[in-house]
Amino acid sequence: MSLDARVGIVLVSHSAALADGAAELAAQVSGGTVAIIPAGGTDDGRLGTSAAKVEQALKLADGGAGVVIVPDLGSAVLTVRALLGEPGDLPTPVEVADAPFVEGVVAATVAAAGGANIKAVLAAAEEARHARKL
Amino acid sequence: MPASYEEAITLAGDLHARPAGALAVAAAQFSSAVSLTVGASSADAKSVLGVMGLGATCGQHLTVAAEGPDAHEAVAAIIAILAEATRVGA
Repeated sequence: MSLDARVGIVLVSHSAALADGAAELAAQVSGGTVAIIPAGGTDDGRLGTSAAKVEQALKLADGGAGVVIVPDLGSAVLTVRALLGEPGDLPTPVEVADAPFVEGVVAATVAAAGGANIKAVLAAAEEARHARKL
Repeated sequence: MPASYEEAITLAGDLHARPAGALAVAAAQFSSAVSLTVGASSADAKSVLGVMGLGATCGQHLTVAAEGPDAHEAVAAIIAILAEATRVGA
């Protein structure tokens, strides 16, 4: 299992700093064996989301086992959905996780590092909705 | 026949995010179900958020239990990670 390609993770945030920081944290917790690509902010560096950044991140994250996208807030999902709805040369499979951003990214990345397939990585991210921290 | 096995360790440091991640990645390599118990709280060792949610701290007594065909190996691997990672205080 450990020799197989890992599922990649893409972080879509309105803030480049938030996406970069969450990616750094997830990489530390998961041991650095998974591609975690941040796609934060607009193309000109403002707060917002960028389809071009997400597309580039998807290509970088794809190692052959698929990619799970974790959006920070609901409106990032609109950018992701619009991109996935267009014809184009995107990796497959791609799943979008309905999960809290930090917990979802950490849970998904650790699951991917453990060799989980894309459905299990998606499930790990979405189970983060129920995780208690106290 | 599925085996069950458990072993306890007294933590030499707090169980922070990085060791929790290393532990969950390691637990995923075994087919056995692996759980961690501290006091009245238990977590699935394969769930990094569950492990972090235990809030296990230095000096606490933690029990690692596994059930499945590779239970013994799984417990040994997790105990080794706990012994090493909590000592570094990562």
